[in-house]
Amino acid sequence: MTAPADVRAPALSPNDDTEGKKVTTPAVPARLRAHRKVDPTYYWMIIPVLVLFALFSTVPAVIGGFFSFTNYAGYGDWKMVGLRNFQNIFTDPEILASYAFTFFFAIVATVAVNVVALLLALGLNSRIKWKTGIRGIYFIPMVLSGLIIAYVFNYLFSNTVPTIAESLGITPLATSILANEQWAWAAIVFVTVWQAAPGATIIYLAGLQSISPDVTEAASLDGAGAWRQVRSISLPLIAGYVVINIILGFKGYLGTYEIIVALTGGGPGTATQSVAMRIFSGFAGGDYSYQMANAIIFFIITLIISLLQLQVLRRREVSL
Amino acid sequence: MAAVAAAGLVLPACSGAAAGTITTIRLQQNKPEVVEYFNALIKDFESKNPDIRVVQDFNAGNWVPGLIRDSPADVVTNAYSVTVADFTRKGIFADLSDLPAAAMTDPKALELINSFGQYQDSELSALPFSLAAAGVIYNKALFSQHGVDVPTTWSEFLGACTKFQAAGLTPIYGTFKDSWTLGQPYGYASGGTVDLADFFSRMPLTAEDLKSNPDVSFGSDFKIATDKFLKILGFMQKGAGSRSYTDGNAAFAKGGAAMYMQGPWALSELTTINPDLKVGIFALPMSEDPAETKAQVTLDMTFSIVRSTPRLEAAKRFVSYLMDPAVVNAYNNKFSAFSPLKEATVNANPQISGLQPLITSGKYYLNVTNYFPPAITLNNYFQTLALNRNDKAFLTTLDDAWHRVATRNA
Repeated sequence: MTAPADVRAPALSPNDDTEGKKVTTPAVPARLRAHRKVDPTYYWMIIPVLVLFALFSTVPAVIGGFFSFTNYAGYGDWKMVGLRNFQNIFTDPEILASYAFTFFFAIVATVAVNVVALLLALGLNSRIKWKTGIRGIYFIPMVLSGLIIAYVFNYLFSNTVPTIAESLGITPLATSILANEQWAWAAIVFVTVWQAAPGATIIYLAGLQSISPDVTEAASLDGAGAWRQVRSISLPLIAGYVVINIILGFKGYLGTYEIIVALTGGGPGTATQSVAMRIFSGFAGGDYSYQMANAIIFFIITLIISLLQLQVLRRREVSL
Repeated sequence: MAAVAAAGLVLPACSGAAAGTITTIRLQQNKPEVVEYFNALIKDFESKNPDIRVVQDFNAGNWVPGLIRDSPADVVTNAYSVTVADFTRKGIFADLSDLPAAAMTDPKALELINSFGQYQDSELSALPFSLAAAGVIYNKALFSQHGVDVPTTWSEFLGACTKFQAAGLTPIYGTFKDSWTLGQPYGYASGGTVDLADFFSRMPLTAEDLKSNPDVSFGSDFKIATDKFLKILGFMQKGAGSRSYTDGNAAFAKGGAAMYMQGPWALSELTTINPDLKVGIFALPMSEDPAETKAQVTLDMTFSIVRSTPRLEAAKRFVSYLMDPAVVNAYNNKFSAFSPLKEATVNANPQISGLQPLITSGKYYLNVTNYFPPAITLNNYFQTLALNRNDKAFLTTLDDAWHRVATRNA
């Protein structure tokens, strides 16, 4: 799957070591190998991080992976149960529903965040009054914790919005959207967009500022209006940034947790439970090995998605 | 490791010559609101037992890691439920049946602990220290204003609700945005119609049980309870789905409803919001025979000693001190709870005294939520039921969820 890209650009394959080596090793000229002595400083930079990463991330992950083949409750006796946990996950309607919800949410949130962020960036990049001040205001959500934002919105959705809606006579909004099984997800997407759009906007702004003014000037001399310039000049030139935003965003929204916890707690009922929430419940629930199996499945799915996205990135000739 | 280091630092500093004879034990105490109270108890115990020092650890997160590292606390307090019973069944706790305190305790309370299963079918792994009893909190002023007496039968209760409704007053304040609050009304409805301890002892716990005993189910035994639960919800205010526990406290304290189905923990909140509020508690009658009414309790605090501790003797002395009737009664009076001892003093708190006769005569059952393993997201199911009012789907979900957990527990 990744082979063609590796042949063309072996240096771009950090995730695919074996294949990269196979292709590159014979290609390194002998004279370069003689001068391979690298300044040890670089090793001193890498090794501590490598050790810490292995100790606190890789090793626990491998241990967790091992326990997914057992019936370990988090304490006490355990025995190997083979693939039973994995089989049970595929027949557990709640786990499957949490996957469906998580992917649905990630796709909707990615689209919504990027549309909003792109519009914001285009607006903030144009020659408007008070540009710096307005930019500052739009970036405030970025420095607030998602948990705090979600608790504030929880109050707004439960109390303020229904009160206003009731006095205006809008009955569908008079009860909290968070108590509505069909629409609670919309509130979560709304808060996610509110919090995540500034980050995406910054990346789009960087992209827009990298466009040479000559190009836009030439376009306007040719008689292109604002919309035409956006469509034919800005968007194609920042396409790489769109890809970066979509990839970073999608992966982040797959792991969504704190905004849901603070807004709905997975409810109403079981309508908004994300995979991350189900996995975390295993630590308190004596369900450790079962949710570890869930985590392994989720890891493999995200890994596949990331590899696919990396392919797209390479084709787009941008690097993260 | 940390405990050993801490003990090493503490010992020479305080005892000088007698350092070698002092035993330090660790108490794992998980209720943040009583940490100070336990510090005072520990001080008193230490002055009476100069050869023992007690260190209180109030970080609940230390318990399981302590077990894994093989250095758990010597004495641990728990709100006893199916989760804690899992430790009991795995033999984590020492047998306490030979302590004098075991003989002083109400057999009914011990029965509740043992109903979750005993280690080797004979041991007593926890001693009950405090029973938190819950019932329907009612606004005394509103009851007398509308000429309503405390109901003693199910139909009297429905009559009272209808009367309040006709007067334009919300009969019961509902807060099921916080899904856990639904555990109270469902607890009353099920505890009054099902013999919970018996039912859950028949429910399958493992894949083996599932094969041998497939007939017992929520669908057959909890049908009445679920119907009555929905009847109760029908008397809650409109929009209860978007009201939280704190909203409920504020509204009820200000006279927004006649009744409120919450545990004793809400009482101090209510009187903080409105110091003039006069409330009482009654056990919700679920049948037409007043003699059948029982109170709902949780085993709010129990003591266990870790089996592997090398300081067993010191730990037993500490637990025996804590189980002294004077200590037990003082604690429960202070924290609006009930003593599980045979020789219990009557709780002086007028807010909860309505439940006293039931507790004294041993007419109580454990809240249904205590029997569910945390892997079952029971509160979310309650919320779905409250919003959709689909009792069949709810009971099927419960049975399916229970069977899934049993299947994966070998």
